[in-house]
Amino acid sequence: MSALFITLFLPLFGSLLLLFFNRRNTELIEKTTLGISLLTFIASLFLFLSFDPANPGFQFLYEATWIESMDAGFRIGIDGMSLLLIMLTTFLTPIVILSSKNAITKSRKEFYVMILLLQFGMTGVFLSLDLFLFYIFWELILIPMYFIIGIWGGKNKIYAAIKFFIYTVVGSLLMLVALVWLGHYCGTELLHNQQGFTSNYLIIRDLAASIPLEYQKWMFLAFALSFCIKVPLFPFHTWLPDAHTEAPTPGSVILAGVLLKMGTYGLIRFNLELFPQASMEYASLISWLAVTGIIYGALVAMVQTDVKRLVAYSSVSHLGFVVLGIFSMTAEGIQGAIIQMVSHGLSTGMLFLCVGMIYERRHTRDIDQFGGLAKVMPLFTVFFGIAMLASVGLPGLNGFVGEFLTLLGAFNSPFLNSHAYTIVAATGVIFAAVYLLWMFQRVMFGANENPANHNLSDVTKRETWMLVPIVVFIVWIGIYPNTFLKVSENSTRALVNKLHVIKFGTPKFTLPVYKDDQLLQDDLIKPTEPIETVR
Amino acid sequence: MNIGLEHYLIVGAILFSLGLFAVVTRKNAILVLMGLELILNSANINFIAFAKYGGMNIEGHVAAIFVIILAAAEAAVALAIVLNIYRNFKHVNVDEVAKLKD
Amino acid sequence: MFSVEANFLDQLKDSIGLFLPETVLIATFLLSLILDLIFRKSRTLTGIVTAIGFVVAGICLIGQTGETAFIFSRMLVVDPFALFFKFVILLSGLIVVLMSFFSKELYETTEGVGEYFTLITGMTIGMFLLASASNLIMIYLAIETMSISSYILAGYTKEIRRASEASLKYVIFGAVSSGIMIYGMSILFGLTGTLNLFDINTFLLSNEVNMVPLMLSGLMILAGFAYKISAVPFHFWTPDVYEGAPVTISALLSVASKAAGFAVLIRFLKSAFIDPTLSSDVAWNTISSIDWQYIIAILAVVTMTVGNLVAVWQTNVKRLLAYSSIAHAGYLLMGVVVMNEIGIAAILLYFFAYMIMNLGAFYVVMLIANKTGSEELDDYQGLGHSAPVLGVCMTIFLISLTGLPPTFGFIGKLYIFSAVLDSGLIWLAVVGVLNSVVSLYYYAKVFRNMYFRGMDPPKEPMTFSYGSMILLFLLAIPTVLFGVYFTPILAWAKSSVEIFFG
Repeated sequence: MSALFITLFLPLFGSLLLLFFNRRNTELIEKTTLGISLLTFIASLFLFLSFDPANPGFQFLYEATWIESMDAGFRIGIDGMSLLLIMLTTFLTPIVILSSKNAITKSRKEFYVMILLLQFGMTGVFLSLDLFLFYIFWELILIPMYFIIGIWGGKNKIYAAIKFFIYTVVGSLLMLVALVWLGHYCGTELLHNQQGFTSNYLIIRDLAASIPLEYQKWMFLAFALSFCIKVPLFPFHTWLPDAHTEAPTPGSVILAGVLLKMGTYGLIRFNLELFPQASMEYASLISWLAVTGIIYGALVAMVQTDVKRLVAYSSVSHLGFVVLGIFSMTAEGIQGAIIQMVSHGLSTGMLFLCVGMIYERRHTRDIDQFGGLAKVMPLFTVFFGIAMLASVGLPGLNGFVGEFLTLLGAFNSPFLNSHAYTIVAATGVIFAAVYLLWMFQRVMFGANENPANHNLSDVTKRETWMLVPIVVFIVWIGIYPNTFLKVSENSTRALVNKLHVIKFGTPKFTLPVYKDDQLLQDDLIKPTEPIETVR
Repeated sequence: MNIGLEHYLIVGAILFSLGLFAVVTRKNAILVLMGLELILNSANINFIAFAKYGGMNIEGHVAAIFVIILAAAEAAVALAIVLNIYRNFKHVNVDEVAKLKD
Repeated sequence: MFSVEANFLDQLKDSIGLFLPETVLIATFLLSLILDLIFRKSRTLTGIVTAIGFVVAGICLIGQTGETAFIFSRMLVVDPFALFFKFVILLSGLIVVLMSFFSKELYETTEGVGEYFTLITGMTIGMFLLASASNLIMIYLAIETMSISSYILAGYTKEIRRASEASLKYVIFGAVSSGIMIYGMSILFGLTGTLNLFDINTFLLSNEVNMVPLMLSGLMILAGFAYKISAVPFHFWTPDVYEGAPVTISALLSVASKAAGFAVLIRFLKSAFIDPTLSSDVAWNTISSIDWQYIIAILAVVTMTVGNLVAVWQTNVKRLLAYSSIAHAGYLLMGVVVMNEIGIAAILLYFFAYMIMNLGAFYVVMLIANKTGSEELDDYQGLGHSAPVLGVCMTIFLISLTGLPPTFGFIGKLYIFSAVLDSGLIWLAVVGVLNSVVSLYYYAKVFRNMYFRGMDPPKEPMTFSYGSMILLFLLAIPTVLFGVYFTPILAWAKSSVEIFFG
């Protein structure tokens, strides 16, 4: 439990600490920030090692009363899926901080404060088990991200920042209405508790299936709108290319790496868990949107001339796979979606880092300006190539695992009832190969004709340090994904069981029963037994 | 014809409408304030009439007296403000006092 | 006709005992008036006396906790509901007095500021009376006491043309709306034969009353209140007056006078038109078939929509905040629509939040105007760098006004929305939420200008006095703090509604 607290609060503490530093001492500020983020990563490693993958429920639970009248509390805990996403967050943050050395030239102190605040918010989103706590963390992220795009962004930054802000807030405020209504309904109609309200996620999750379908539908749509804007699912994606293109490199990495996952995480955590019947009702609609997004994103990416915009559209396409996997509602599909979230965070994050590196050297991202970079930057070519191939989904690298599993899930899904999704989505893989390889070929190979490209320096030591850890994990997931799949397997199976019981009356998997999972069914402020499971 | 409650109320209503009409149409601030006095006096007529014919208690008369007092206070303040407007703008035309616009 | 009862003197004594906070304010009023005459040269003395008087009145208010009584022959009510609003009024009055000490505009464009503080006290007395009035004539008297002071205050910097214009508009619109209100009151008096709200209630319960005049009088009285809370369509004065008046007065009008307006609006509806026998704390039943809920729901929707949409085009920050305060009147009216104690408790909580964040926003506007002499949005460019503390605090206030967590404004909105959802008015909550999105756009415009524009070349850093910074932190820190821990204020708001007297 303490490891969870450190993972959550260390970044917040760090950002407050930075406020007391002299802004001229950038060296110290940077080192402190890096140190804080590395410590957070170590704390999350402890979390990973002490996590019990066999337990399908939530672990490291902690609960404290906060707003009594709404039965809202500081309730945190993680299952396999949230653990992987927290690990992704803590892993990417130090890399982002390293990458901001060159990308951020003004107001560095404020930038690091914002990054750490952002990390606090993202970790909070992934571990809150309380509707209000979740909402607060969810909104908390907006403000630092808005400033990161708006202050340190490119030419069109103000437009992009406002667009990002407005899009996200439209969704999340409607989610707030649904959230309050849900808490109210569960409190008065189902739970009959004293406050007439509950915001305890675990209780609502257990009651969720008994909410009438007509209500579920509305709440599903309100939650889904918010998450789909964040993902972003076609047709809510239009903020993404602008935000990505204008954001500074570290901002893009965080945005693609972690922020977008908050949407897909929400779809699993809230939409599937809380509104199972409505999810089945809308599965085909959302899946079609996802498939359309896969193809649309790929087609639009093909005609981009700006490398960063191309990568941004490739995100739209890749996250379509994630959503398709989620709404296949099979164990393979959801597992694939989770691993694809992590993979996409790594490979697209790395692509953005690479794009940032050439942008710092050439101050342009126009594909036509490049050509033959492989001759002057051999090592960079290797890194860029790995990231690109991982993104294409080459077997042996991480992208393949996720895409394969999501397609398999969609193919076998008893909820989707059509192979059309899989067939159309699979063509997206081919398109991905086309636009990424074509871009890579135009930038890296061919004749190095532009004189500005003649004397580019290869990756520096610092940049190597940023990229090597990502490469390690890209290969690791590609070759032995079981390390990570295993972590979220049982919690995914528990979810699939729940859906199967509703649809077919029998669970699909048998899972070990844990006592502390039982304990949480009761609305206990202070559990009678320690609820921490350390193996 | 006996003069009853209705007649007073009708007079009151006419006064109110005239006052409102003056407030809306007049441009000169002084005339607007005069329209305002009509509105307040229409309320006074109502109060007194109700107190007399409705068989009600003294409250109506008290209310009327208070309204008269407050009308005087309000007029004093309003005229002071109009005077200040005249010093700043050299006229008291409500429509033309428009430095602030939407 | 008018006989002195045996226990009349005892009643009077009790009444005076419960009238202590107002008495203290009246004493402050007189004292500052006299001191101003004697020490004509001192520019802060009356202000200090006023601030001390407010603090003493606050202490007296604390002494009234839990009291429920009629005083002065049922002219006034002392109950926790009135007490809450009095605290809000007094606190915002005190903050405005403190703000005024740092106002350059006030000290440099007027000959003396003595009457300024005296008038603020006068206005506060009016608002105190309004918060506890339970008689139509008392309501009218209190509204006029408060208004007449505020007419003068709006044009206090009388050498400035826009200020005198503001006060002219304010006095004309204000006088007309209170004239309409008193005419409505006269009709209501004629229908029911009494001026006391509770007697009106009893009369309406036991007698058949002609609907048309009742409706008409109700709407006319509502117009008077709507003017005070600047609800559409009685909002025309708001932007002009807020822009023209001194910033401190705009702040006072936007918070305290709105609080008093809401207090009397709620009390008027609750005491006169709600059937106490059929009502529980969950749902209030209106007497006769006037659908107040419907009327106020429309008022709320129109108010917040107009306020938010027009605010989008504003280029002057004071004017922008004026429209934002109109929009907030709409959000607060949503709580009235619910017509039960949950809704009213949500209003109280929101008011407390609104007080802190709105005063804070106006205070930042004042501090910036002190240095740059401008309230135009374009002149805010680059302020995030030249005045970083102000920039951060302004961002906090504006985020809170938008209603995003983790700020007090979010909690306020959350409770308003949950009250609305509680009573099943989902459409109203959705309208409110969509309005919040619109409001985000124009609030974001302010901090966009502060941070994203005009950064190069960097402007000269601005310096501010320590005193002014302390006051700023006193407003900014609670905005964030209460966003995370607000239980005491919530408990206070709830208990203030539970013992709604009458």
